Amino acid sequence: MAEILKVMNVTKTFGGLTAVNNVSFSVREGETLGLMGPNGAGKTTLVNMICGSYAIDSGEIEFMGKDIRKLAPHQRCKLGISRTYQIPRPFPELTALNSVVVSALCGKDRHDMALDDAATEATHYLEFVGLFAKRNILAHDLTLYELRGLELARALATSPKLLFVDEVMAGLNPVEAENAVGLIQRAKEEFGITVLWIEHVMAVLMRAAERIIVLHYGEKIAEGPPEEVANDPAVIESYLGAG
Amino acid sequence: MLGVIETTIVYTLLMGSLYLLVAVGFSLICGVLRIFHLGYAYIFVATIYLTWMFMDLLGWGLVPSIAAMAVIQAGLAVAIYKGLVSRYMKQEELIITGLLLVAIIIEQAALRWYPIQTGVYLETTVIPGMTQIGATTISNQLLFAATVGIVVTGLFVLFFLKTKTGLAVRAISYDLYSSRVMGIQVERLYIFVMILVLIPVMIATLAVAPVWAVDPTMGWGYMITAILVVVLGGLGNLKGTIIASYIIGFCHAFVSFVVAEPRFMTLSALVVVLIVLIVRPQGITKTESLW
Amino acid sequence: MELEVKRDRLVLRVRANKWEWTIEPRYWRNPLVYVGLLVALPIVVYFVYPSLLATIINANLLAAIAIPLAWMTIGTGRVNFGPQFYIGAGGYAAALLSIHYGLHPVLTLIVAALVGLAFGFITSPLALIAGGLYYTLLTLLLPLVFLEITFIYTGLFKGDVGLAGVAPLVDTGRFSLNIFLVALLSLAMMLIYMFIIDKVLRSRYAVQMAAINDDEEVANSMGVNVNKVKIISFAIPAMMIAIIGWFYAHYYGTFAGITFLPLVFMLKILLVIMIGGRAQIYGCIIGGYFIAFLEMILIRTMGDISPVLFPVILLILLLALPEGLFGVYRKRHYREYLPTLHVRR
Repeated sequence: MAEILKVMNVTKTFGGLTAVNNVSFSVREGETLGLMGPNGAGKTTLVNMICGSYAIDSGEIEFMGKDIRKLAPHQRCKLGISRTYQIPRPFPELTALNSVVVSALCGKDRHDMALDDAATEATHYLEFVGLFAKRNILAHDLTLYELRGLELARALATSPKLLFVDEVMAGLNPVEAENAVGLIQRAKEEFGITVLWIEHVMAVLMRAAERIIVLHYGEKIAEGPPEEVANDPAVIESYLGAG
Repeated sequence: MLGVIETTIVYTLLMGSLYLLVAVGFSLICGVLRIFHLGYAYIFVATIYLTWMFMDLLGWGLVPSIAAMAVIQAGLAVAIYKGLVSRYMKQEELIITGLLLVAIIIEQAALRWYPIQTGVYLETTVIPGMTQIGATTISNQLLFAATVGIVVTGLFVLFFLKTKTGLAVRAISYDLYSSRVMGIQVERLYIFVMILVLIPVMIATLAVAPVWAVDPTMGWGYMITAILVVVLGGLGNLKGTIIASYIIGFCHAFVSFVVAEPRFMTLSALVVVLIVLIVRPQGITKTESLW
Repeated sequence: MELEVKRDRLVLRVRANKWEWTIEPRYWRNPLVYVGLLVALPIVVYFVYPSLLATIINANLLAAIAIPLAWMTIGTGRVNFGPQFYIGAGGYAAALLSIHYGLHPVLTLIVAALVGLAFGFITSPLALIAGGLYYTLLTLLLPLVFLEITFIYTGLFKGDVGLAGVAPLVDTGRFSLNIFLVALLSLAMMLIYMFIIDKVLRSRYAVQMAAINDDEEVANSMGVNVNKVKIISFAIPAMMIAIIGWFYAHYYGTFAGITFLPLVFMLKILLVIMIGGRAQIYGCIIGGYFIAFLEMILIRTMGDISPVLFPVILLILLLALPEGLFGVYRKRHYREYLPTLHVRR
């Protein structure tokens, strides 16, 4: 399997704090890679750097063989990187439909797409996440679960090759959480995307991910299949403390 | 050559101190109260013309007129706050437009009843005569005004750093909601600050009135300087305002004496500010805090 | 590039992109009625009360400035407090070329537009780096500094008095007919601007602008080229406003910075938007006519106290009707307006 994303020796410091310290890993095409670590481990910072929101202090990032460090976020999106946000960041004054229309229009260089066509495509994605009935409701009126769905629809509408899913579980009850996991699995199969799944909850990643990377205080402390990582003493210590 | 350098330094200090008086109030209102007081220019016009009105219409002496003018200005500030600012805190375009309208009303009223030909002149010279400093002579009045500028700014800094009220005002500038929750009397403090910022402007305008020309449109010239100083120094940051005042003062002095083209004063200051902004978009200071 | 006419829409294809516009008769009924009224007005006035034509021209021009300004506001997410800067640019360019080189108004139009576009591009970084109050203050400063420059280079710009002797827009020999044609021209200009901005605000760019206004960083991550949208939303309205400067120069035959660059004029424009109804562009037309006619009535009835009374009345109106005249209409006749765009600070 080809390597779709290569992150090499990436470091990011904020003032005196090293958020990400010399992290290297790669993502293979078509896999679901889990990214784990306790709070403050640097997971979201890492994603922000790959997506372009933060500049990296040192290291290299290659996507599909191209060095993307100098590209602006919207250019990376057009290449095929997309993400959801840990705390949903919808476009509050836009309807659910229009939110997805924006990414359908701009996420990829499309041929022969007018605004109406984008709206049609947006409805497909909304239907996929189950929000078709709420398509004309303003985003700030949706519930948390619906917002997560909207985030996913918006990210999928950009036709990504690599999707970063950032802590989907937080704040959902068990039923909603089940649905969310199932939705991401289906998205992966139906749209043929590679997923990098950031999550706190180990149980989810054990089932869903093929490989897991664990970060702790900005450093990679483990990498491998779920069972291996779950039994890794360093990982257990990072979550539960020593002794 | 040395004379030019001397003159430049003298005028930098002089103008910088005067600009302090002009800009410190603007910086406070915009940065601390977060009111975009684009009608700030009216204070200059109102100071001169209200005083003149009392002297001309009611025949009062200079000091009583100034006192009456101060009272009316304070009342006006309160009225503006109650009628405009507090009602439309959320809709900033309304506040800005309203404040601008107030400034224009006052300016047009002054133009209508005391046009430039009437020769308004306020004899507010405290220290007459001129002093020789190095290669240049400066009116004592301006020196006095500059000294007052430094003193007043120093008092302001002490007030905001050392007193309880000053602390409360700083709290408001950081987080309005939390300040309310903590029991700070926000309304009263807003009114207090609005009246407080009138003082340096009134002093500055009255002090320079006999030396520099007075006309109803004078407010905008000072306003431009205030804007440049505040944008350069960082909104609401007193340290930045002080440094920026002297930078702009230096800019004006440099262009006037070294380059010898006083016409380009304002333009050069604008260019300097723009260049700094391109390099550091938030102005020369690092933080948005008061000090 | 190919244009296709279907039963109910126009389809335009340029390279890989496609634009569609509805041209169904019912869709156009209301607009045609209003345009008809607006065109009938100067015609009726010409025969009944010709001195009102000047007021109509003022109204159209004020609206024509406010309409692209609304696009600039929505596209950059900030309010530009110095749009008259571009009026000065276009007006002086047109006046100087007409006086010193005798260029025909059509040629000066092209140059004024290019000058406006150039100034727009040069000043557009303001929309990218400055935000909030800094942006307000800097855009406020620009025209005031332009005014300073015109006083510095008095030889060129003729300072207070301004440039005189600019060629008129039309010259049929009869004064009243000239004014009538100019009135129609100003109306045409405003309607063209209205049409253009209406299309822009219903297009794919409108959704992108709405997304940028809501959350710029997220919009950037979703593929929206934020900087490009902001720069274009700044430079092209600047060009359109500069063209109005060109119009003023050729209409009055003179152009003085002191008339247009200080804050009084800017306030008029701002009030057209406020009293007309914020970023609702149809409100700009109502606002324009309201302000122009209010000023005319005040000058004729109150004489020399009107410069004081005018801002007083506007202040009262501003406080009494915060949502503007068109906003009042909107509240009564609510319809689905797509999409409602908000300006963030």
